[in-house]
Amino acid sequence: MHDAVTEMKVGMQVPDFTLTCYDPVAHDFTKASLAELKKQGKWTILFFYPADFTFV
Amino acid sequence: MGAQLITVSTDTEFVHLAWKRDEKELAAVKYLMGADPTGNLSRLFGVYDAGSGLALRGTFIIDPEGTLFNSEVNFYNMGRNIDELMRKFKANIYLKKKANEGCPSKWKDEGDATLRPGPEMVGRVHEALNK
Repeated sequence: MHDAVTEMKVGMQVPDFTLTCYDPVAHDFTKASLAELKKQGKWTILFFYPADFTFV
Repeated sequence: MGAQLITVSTDTEFVHLAWKRDEKELAAVKYLMGADPTGNLSRLFGVYDAGSGLALRGTFIIDPEGTLFNSEVNFYNMGRNIDELMRKFKANIYLKKKANEGCPSKWKDEGDATLRPGPEMVGRVHEALNK
């Protein structure tokens, strides 16, 4: 079921990740990078949901 | 507010685009719509449901140093309240500055009463909340 991923718990350091995104403002595809957001001094809120075209 | 909101599902960025284009409820959306088709990010946060290949309704708040401040997972059919998310987000920002204080459940915004845990509060939380 689970491979060797350490699941994040509060207080832990989140490893840098990069995520391909659709940016509705630019109407373009882009990459979001935690390292880059940290560099900009920003907080990051991740909001997971099961599937597009359903309620969130 | 110095934050980047990223919604994440195991759909691709192409499906995100199509959904945003078609669904009128999303007309005002300005946040990034993240694609996690491998499920790797979902696994990292413990919300990947291997049975369905979908991500559970998890919400995670990470501070600018990369520390996870808030972690919450709802079951499939339980929606989330944006006001409550914003309340927690504001509380996290506040508590990062004032680590020796506590934000009680009714705390909404800076200026609201906080608690300072210590010996004088032991058994006197009611008095501290209502002074």
